[in-house]
Amino acid sequence: MELFEDYFSDYNKSVVYENQRVSGTDYADVKKAITELLELFLSNNFLHPVISSAGTLTNRFFMPSDITTGDRAYMLSRIVYYNQLKSQGSNTLVVPFQLEDAGALFVSDGVVAGDIVTNNVNFLSATVLAVIGQTQLLLDTDIFTATPVTYSIFSSVSLSEAEPVTDGKITALSISPLTAPSTMFPAYTLNSEFMATYPSILTGYGSVRASYFRYPREPKWTYITLINGEPAFDQTQPDYQDFELPLEDEYKLVMKILQYCGISIRETQVVQYAMSQEQQGSAN
Amino acid sequence: MAYISQYQYYANSGNTPEDANWGSYQYVSLQDIVTNFLLMYSGNHSLVNNEERYKILFHAKRAIQELNYDAFKEIKVLELTVAENLKFVLPSDYVNWVRISLYKNGYLRPLSENIQALSSDAYLQDNNGKILFDINGNILRPQDSMIDYDRLHKLKKSIYLNQGNQFNGQMGWCVDGDWYFDYAIGARFGLNTETANFNPTFNVDKKAGVINFDSSMVNELCILEYVSDGMENGDNSLITVNKMFEHYIYAAIKYEILNSKFGVQEYVVSRARKEKSALLRNAKIRISNIHPGRLLMNLRGMDKTIK
Repeated sequence: MELFEDYFSDYNKSVVYENQRVSGTDYADVKKAITELLELFLSNNFLHPVISSAGTLTNRFFMPSDITTGDRAYMLSRIVYYNQLKSQGSNTLVVPFQLEDAGALFVSDGVVAGDIVTNNVNFLSATVLAVIGQTQLLLDTDIFTATPVTYSIFSSVSLSEAEPVTDGKITALSISPLTAPSTMFPAYTLNSEFMATYPSILTGYGSVRASYFRYPREPKWTYITLINGEPAFDQTQPDYQDFELPLEDEYKLVMKILQYCGISIRETQVVQYAMSQEQQGSAN
Repeated sequence: MAYISQYQYYANSGNTPEDANWGSYQYVSLQDIVTNFLLMYSGNHSLVNNEERYKILFHAKRAIQELNYDAFKEIKVLELTVAENLKFVLPSDYVNWVRISLYKNGYLRPLSENIQALSSDAYLQDNNGKILFDINGNILRPQDSMIDYDRLHKLKKSIYLNQGNQFNGQMGWCVDGDWYFDYAIGARFGLNTETANFNPTFNVDKKAGVINFDSSMVNELCILEYVSDGMENGDNSLITVNKMFEHYIYAAIKYEILNSKFGVQEYVVSRARKEKSALLRNAKIRISNIHPGRLLMNLRGMDKTIK
């Protein structure tokens, strides 16, 4: 995590250098390299709506989490609102990688390849690969495994970006007719659990998508237990997870591990050595 | 606004209304303005940096409002019949009037603004002139003030030379082809040209949101030409700007942000202000559409003798 957080401060430093005209050209484009590195952790997912106690959709959405999106957000990059709902209904037949609804009029509704289909029961989404007919769509992901399941189809090109606003500002912003959030210029606020979108008509799964930097996956050293009781490393295990770091940071990682090991075994010299090596590395 | 096919333009792709896209190419949308500004005039190497989008949106809308008041020349027109109450309720997007006319017998007759009051509020008073209140301490009002009552019942006299004029219908003598009238005091010499108009007159009551007319306007068709602020009743998707003013809008947003930001050097602000003013002048000249063909028609009358 320390190394991961350092990437953001390194990015900031590179921006400062660039503004001071001491970096940023050709092979000295440090910012570009760090940007590419950071984007490895960029995740894109639809946010799950909060259902009120009355069973209705609200303008609140759960922040990315292990339960909803399968990962947690370190920092939100942008929130996109898909503002054109093209079609909605319930499927009538289960066909792998397809959406079939006998009552649908997909062609008449203007559904085209690239549009987004959401399963509003299990909160999975897919992209339309082809419109087979008025009642059939070919999808890139198999998200319909039962009937009847409600779905929504959104245009992938008709969208607007929501602006982050602090909770202290949203009231004043909403009152002013010139700045009030609209479907064209939406806004959102955050609290510990939820994200609230404005105007409050922005509801429903599939309409709000978050782009965020996720936390690096926790490394997991998987093993098999040998007959004599000694564990042996086995990376073929399904839950195996390597460090999500670029090769050039291997040295930094080793030094960090050395530091923590030194602290753990109370070996001052080891800690000091690791720290001096780290400082030397960052000075270079 | 995205580029569209000819079929989309002329026939709205077969949808209704057919004219939805006619003339749309003249305009750039509010969304495009805000997005373009964020992309092109804001960022790490730009004068404007780290500004919230809502500020850019606010300044863009303010600039559009200002343009609508005098530069756009996009005048809206509304026709309504003036009913028995002699009022014309201002349109919901009304900001200021340009011209108010009476449409009668196929002619459009521009009306004059009455220089006198046509309507008034009134309080009930007792015989000693004291104002009357109800038990809650609220002032009691008559249904109509006397001036309103007289106007609504065609009793109010007018200083204009129309049917309500105080001299209209007075007896006179025709001697050798000239008319002579007997007036109560003094005599009348010449004509007050300011009030020498036969047409009905009006007053705009801005706070009440109505145009009050004199009694000769009852059941007549009124054509109101007015300007709005371009905010399209709060529907951002309908707010547009003529492309002639696109560059000006960017300059106006930039200036407003720099002008209100702490620590920006005065010469930077000054440069932004000059850029904004210059672009506004250029855009106004362009939108004026001054070209030889138009001038020619006016200049053809230059040699005409003025009698």
